[in-house]
Amino acid sequence: MDFSFTDEQQMLRDGVGKFLEKSYDFDARQKLVNADAPWSADAWQQFAEFGLLALPFSEEQGGLGGSISDCVAFAELFGKHLVIEPYLGSVMLAGSALAQSGHAAAEEWVEKIVSGEAVVAFAFEEGHGTASPELLAMTAQGSGDSACLTGEKRLVHAGADADAIVVLARKGEGGPPAFYLVEAGADGIDARAYTTIDGRSAANITFNDVAATELEASEEAVEKIIADAIIVQSAEAVGAMGALVAMTGEYAHTRKQFGVPIATFQAVAHRLADMKIAYTKARATLIYTTALAESGAATPRDIAILKGQVGKLGRAVGEAAIQTHGGVGMTDELSVSHYHKRLLACDTTFGDHAYHFRKVGMG
Amino acid sequence: MKGIDPDQSTMAGTTGREMKIEFAPELEAFRAEVAEFFATAPTPAIREAGRKTTSVFAPFKECMEWHRILYEKGWVAPHWPVEYGGTGWSVEQRFIFAEEYRKADLPPLLPQSLGMVGPLLIDIGTQEQKDRYLPGILNGDDFWAQGYSEPSSGSDLASLSCRAESDGDDYIINGPKIWTTYAHHANRMFMLVRTSTEGKKQQGITFLLLDRTDYPGMEIRPIVGLDGFPEQCEVFFEDVRVPQSGRVGEENDGWSVAKHLLKHERGGGNAASPTLMRYCERARAAAEKTPSPFGGMVADDAVFQREIGELEADIASLGHFEKLAISGHEIARDPAFPSMNKTINSELVQRASVLMTQVSGVDGLARQLETLRVGSNVEPLGSEFDLVSMPLCLNSRATTIYAGSNEVQRDLIARTVSGS
Repeated sequence: MDFSFTDEQQMLRDGVGKFLEKSYDFDARQKLVNADAPWSADAWQQFAEFGLLALPFSEEQGGLGGSISDCVAFAELFGKHLVIEPYLGSVMLAGSALAQSGHAAAEEWVEKIVSGEAVVAFAFEEGHGTASPELLAMTAQGSGDSACLTGEKRLVHAGADADAIVVLARKGEGGPPAFYLVEAGADGIDARAYTTIDGRSAANITFNDVAATELEASEEAVEKIIADAIIVQSAEAVGAMGALVAMTGEYAHTRKQFGVPIATFQAVAHRLADMKIAYTKARATLIYTTALAESGAATPRDIAILKGQVGKLGRAVGEAAIQTHGGVGMTDELSVSHYHKRLLACDTTFGDHAYHFRKVGMG
Repeated sequence: MKGIDPDQSTMAGTTGREMKIEFAPELEAFRAEVAEFFATAPTPAIREAGRKTTSVFAPFKECMEWHRILYEKGWVAPHWPVEYGGTGWSVEQRFIFAEEYRKADLPPLLPQSLGMVGPLLIDIGTQEQKDRYLPGILNGDDFWAQGYSEPSSGSDLASLSCRAESDGDDYIINGPKIWTTYAHHANRMFMLVRTSTEGKKQQGITFLLLDRTDYPGMEIRPIVGLDGFPEQCEVFFEDVRVPQSGRVGEENDGWSVAKHLLKHERGGGNAASPTLMRYCERARAAAEKTPSPFGGMVADDAVFQREIGELEADIASLGHFEKLAISGHEIARDPAFPSMNKTINSELVQRASVLMTQVSGVDGLARQLETLRVGSNVEPLGSEFDLVSMPLCLNSRATTIYAGSNEVQRDLIARTVSGS
């Protein structure tokens, strides 16, 4: 048993890491966030060239047959660089939903996602941090190619910019969750676009009798797609936590007050220690849960533990980083506050730590 | 996935090992073998001692009986190198062994011999010391006490002043030691002594192995703890003459020997998370039967569910950390690993045992020392859960104090973050 990244994964990390160091430093990232375009088309093209957009798809579908640990390997770096591109929504969620359906129209979209030609949004959240497909309220009428959607979805990443949207809704009143494919700009869609606190383009979308194509999906398939997305998002969060620990340690070492580095004060030192403990716990759980998922052995409890831990510990690390940095930690200019906001966003989506801990506790 | 060529930024067609957890069918046979042994080998007294363990340190007599049974089976030291009596098990087998151990509610083996001085001697003992001491550590004939702390040297261990003066082939020891766990049961002791007062305080310390604990001039006094049990001891040395052949490492270089041992003490050969998860299982089972003031049972209460869920998630993270470490993952090569492991583990013991007492409520307030004695025929006042929850909670206040207080651990961890 070996939990380390394989040589290929390490090479992928090195390659993606080098690119991000060079082209996606914090200043470049802030320019992207504040630009008119919702994300960087150049970076997206670069991800395509690295094979990241093809990674989770099977070779028959033009993909690379990658595994969840391959995705975790580079997603930590996405977190370290606060990447705003809609990888999770378009590739992990919408892409996987399309790929598993076997539907002809869906196959075409997968090809376009893999090549970087199209971005497909994934509409899941319904306003309270929708933690599980069980909690969905939105219900589709009709079925097959003549399904019809009415209702609201929130926090749809790239929702107003995508070429298509995959919506998770119930198959008829009280039915199981299923995926529905909707063309961008279809009649009855009303998208209200915004930028999230962590710099991503998103939209709240109301669907009013919108024509949709139902995509086949078993309940297990829906669960697995959400679980994989939670793992990859957790990897991003852990990457962000690692960056904060390193940055805060360095700051405490150089920042002087009362004539000495603040790291020499035990109250500050112990906060640094707690940050490292939190980060290490979260990373251990991320890596172990990834290995479980890769073996097909991750249970809903395992996923809830990961989501809860990363959410709680990520918040704690972000808060401690700001406190240690003092006034500058409060500014928009320094990356610390942006990491904190990314970690808050990660905790809040797919159900926050309070929800997941209670799920664990219910047994 | 297929391999990626970083220069080309394209995928090349190679495959490698994957990050996976697989339990092959032969491992299930191993699990059955372990479970069968745990179901049949322990005596009733050993089982009772397991259920009545309210500390890291299980009841001594039964614990050592169990130690000898495991030795006969060849399973007493799974974490030791196989040439010294380890099992040579795979990582998966060690996980399985720990899981089954937990399920069987058996007393944990005492850490001082198997977990501390044994691995130390394997690493840096002389051949003579290995030959003399390792067999007794392994077969359970010997039990070692750890003579470190002194009345004036707790967290600041390097300030210790128990003196050893060289006299021919011997040292003559004078001074006190305290918080020496189970010294009253020990027949051997490893200890730190001051051999020089020159230079930095760390530079004049020597690490000694004591062949006996009944040398003339040596006196051991048990200290009754807040839970009512004599677990800790004071040890007094008055002109105690011991041979210099018991020295590990060079004279005045004992601090580096002690630091080496700390890796084993804090790093832990034995995973703690299975035991902690077992505490939670017990708390859950008790909560199923305990009415909540808000109606229903405590187990149905939202606050209880949230609390135990958060605790179990934290224990799971410790377990992941331990499993990564056993597998040799880079996370365990971090210089802060032993301190992080100790800090996480010790604070979780406290949280778990506090939660247990919350479930027990007033049924945990009776002082039942006689009932807790292995072999006692006094019935517990409440359930067996209520009998152990409070002593465990009280005793576990020690976990954040011993083996380097958690304040000291956090100082060490922080240094690896800030470099200060």
